Amino acid sequence: MLFSSISFLFYFFAAFLLLYFAVPFKLKNAVLLIFSLVFYAWGGVKYAILMVVAILIGYIFGLLIDKFRENKKIARLFMWLSVASILAFMLYFKYTNFFIDNFNKITGMDVVFLQITLPVGISFYTFQTISYVIDVYRGVPAQKNLINLAAYVSMFPQLIAGPIVRYVDVAAELEERTHSIDKCAEGIRRFIIGLGKKILIADRLSQLCDILKAEVDEKTVLIYWIYGISVALYIYFDFSGYSDMAIGLGKMFGFKFLENFNYPYISKSATEFWRRWHMSLGSWFRDYVYIPLGGNRVSKLRHVFNIFVVWFLTGFWHGAAWNFILWGIFFGVLLLIEKFWLYKYLDKSKVIGHVYTLLAAVFSFVLFNAADLGEATTYIGGMFGAGGIPFTSAESIYYLRSYAVIFILAIIGATPIVRKIAIKLSESSKTGKIINILEPIALVAVLLVVTSYLVDGSFSPFLYFRF
Amino acid sequence: MNTKIKNIVVCVSMAFVLFSLAALCLFMPKEDFLDAERREPEEFPEFTLESVMKDGVDYEDSFMSKFEKYALDAFPFRDAFRTLKAICSNYIFLHKDNNNIFISDGYAAEMQYPMNEDSIDHVTSRFQFIYDRYLKDKDITPYLSIIPDKAYFLAEDNGNLSMDYEEFVKQFTSKTEYAEYIDIFGALSIEDYYKTDTHWRQENLVDIAEILVNSMGGSYNSTFDRNTLENPFYGVYYGQAALPMPSETIYYLTNENLMNVKVYDHQNNKEISLYDMEKAYGKDPYDLFMSGELSLVTIENPNAKTDKELIIFRDSFGRSIIPLMAEDYAKITVIDIRYLPSTMLGLYVDFEDQDVLFLYSTLVLNNGKTIT
Repeated sequence: MLFSSISFLFYFFAAFLLLYFAVPFKLKNAVLLIFSLVFYAWGGVKYAILMVVAILIGYIFGLLIDKFRENKKIARLFMWLSVASILAFMLYFKYTNFFIDNFNKITGMDVVFLQITLPVGISFYTFQTISYVIDVYRGVPAQKNLINLAAYVSMFPQLIAGPIVRYVDVAAELEERTHSIDKCAEGIRRFIIGLGKKILIADRLSQLCDILKAEVDEKTVLIYWIYGISVALYIYFDFSGYSDMAIGLGKMFGFKFLENFNYPYISKSATEFWRRWHMSLGSWFRDYVYIPLGGNRVSKLRHVFNIFVVWFLTGFWHGAAWNFILWGIFFGVLLLIEKFWLYKYLDKSKVIGHVYTLLAAVFSFVLFNAADLGEATTYIGGMFGAGGIPFTSAESIYYLRSYAVIFILAIIGATPIVRKIAIKLSESSKTGKIINILEPIALVAVLLVVTSYLVDGSFSPFLYFRF
Repeated sequence: MNTKIKNIVVCVSMAFVLFSLAALCLFMPKEDFLDAERREPEEFPEFTLESVMKDGVDYEDSFMSKFEKYALDAFPFRDAFRTLKAICSNYIFLHKDNNNIFISDGYAAEMQYPMNEDSIDHVTSRFQFIYDRYLKDKDITPYLSIIPDKAYFLAEDNGNLSMDYEEFVKQFTSKTEYAEYIDIFGALSIEDYYKTDTHWRQENLVDIAEILVNSMGGSYNSTFDRNTLENPFYGVYYGQAALPMPSETIYYLTNENLMNVKVYDHQNNKEISLYDMEKAYGKDPYDLFMSGELSLVTIENPNAKTDKELIIFRDSFGRSIIPLMAEDYAKITVIDIRYLPSTMLGLYVDFEDQDVLFLYSTLVLNNGKTIT
């Protein structure tokens, strides 16, 4: 089920709110679990069963690791067994056909592809379950209550597109959490902002990208640049919008999920960009791959190898295709160059740093969003006029003009300017009162406008579903 | 208002909107027909174990997938929400079009862009087939006339994309060289069209009928009385644009001679009239003209000025102009090859020495996959 759908907002969510706040605290996790399973099963009942199996594996191995904690060898064996079996799910469903495809290409054989549909959000709940068993192995007490653990893994606010919530971050809240009007209002605010980012900006830019890709016959340099910038903004607003909705929903129900984005497009380097982009994934790889590999406390060569592995895996996690792997490696290479040479120069000139980072982001997301490497090459080449294409055309100007307001809103919205102004105005005694009056009106207006877009349009699947 | 009160207001107002709309989703009576979109809404899907278990490639047929569509179609105040979206899209986000529809000078029009060369190839190949199969041996030289859609008049000035109509006609006529082309572009203006609909206004087409009849060797001098249809008319673009637009009036032209014509619907084997008053008050009042989309209709006029006959291949634009040509022909055979395959025409129509006219709008010719 999608957050940005009528069925979620006015059927599922309304029913969930009524029931969740009606039951006593000891039943809240059970209600959360049941609704989360329905939420997930909405995309295919079989996949919900698969997730339940993954939860059971995590639960049983968590208890075993906890029980044999004193015997390091056995605990480690259970930890590796659980990680391997949970990863096997993801490898099978997400990567089998990728491996078959490459095997066929290398050997010239014709191994038949398997009829596998990728279960939505498998990459997210797999990583959460893995983090749980590893954390238990590292000393965190195992969760004895199956409902609590299942509610953590399957929690619908962040189930299918993150942020990747670590067990340690919500373990206490699973046992005890508070609900209040203030938290609820804060959650609503965040959820509506995320919904607006997704429907009013990301979906519009995604629509433009589709038009530019499929309907514009005569491509120009300007068309390729509009496409590149649209893709970069669309992916950001899509994913960060979803994270906002997840964090907002979590807050309404008494959870505090960690932030996932912190205005990445204001970064002055790729290194900084990744400190601000998909932070839950970055910290996951840091804590469960990079540091166990030795991090930077190893030889220079090994350090480079560690960084390469992390970025290879980051790319591969996003999708079973070479463009995702190259996308990850692209950032890995940039980070290495910055670490050993470029960073000191970028630090000296803010403007150059910003321009360089934005260009890197645009090129990387064109690669990320491409159907294949050939398309990525064509689009990036087109941005530099490859093939002697004209610079502009009536069509290019039309789309630039037609989406100008969305572009302006997206560019401003990708910076902290609006947030800073809003905070400043609300802190002032004169304007604070006006802001307080306007805020509920604005939130209701955004919900109604978003609803109008949903009613008028049809489905708009979240981009991050496929990961 | 302090922060505490503001937070209460936020929670209460959002809960009110959410639960009110949720209750209306559940309890408000559902529409049988979506008038603005001219289609039936998705029905509540069957809830069975089989429909719930569908996934993967079969997911489209699952209960969940069908429920999503149902929930959209059954949403309370659907048209009002669509209007809100159109207003935001047009006046806040300043999009140049909404669902491919734009409004200029009070006229709603659909962007025709880009020129669809595949469609031109397809349609001209079907016309060529008709010429080769039915006309060539009879030594009949057909006529071709193309009706510009509203974007021809509006798009460029409004900054919208539009195809190169000159190039379109050039390409089309170069692939139908066996036909004599009758140019009516210059004789039309945007005022000859309805503001909320795709079609042209019959009361403004007498001069176009004259051009067509005279170009085919006739001598046109018909005059008509103007009649008013009382039913307010909201055309197809009204629903698609979803913006507030005033209703329009349909006028239709008659004269004494037209009262005596015999119109026969061969699709349903029954006699009909040139102007169908029942349909004029139905879902689409433009169906007033020759009872809507019918595959094969003949109009016989015992008081025609000549004994000439005419065969017209046409789309929906033809329905409103054909009555204006009825005085000049003893018999007009009206064929819609979107519904009657051209391979079967020989079973129903005797091609002898009639005038033959292909009369189509750019809307159909540029999206002509339905031509058979």
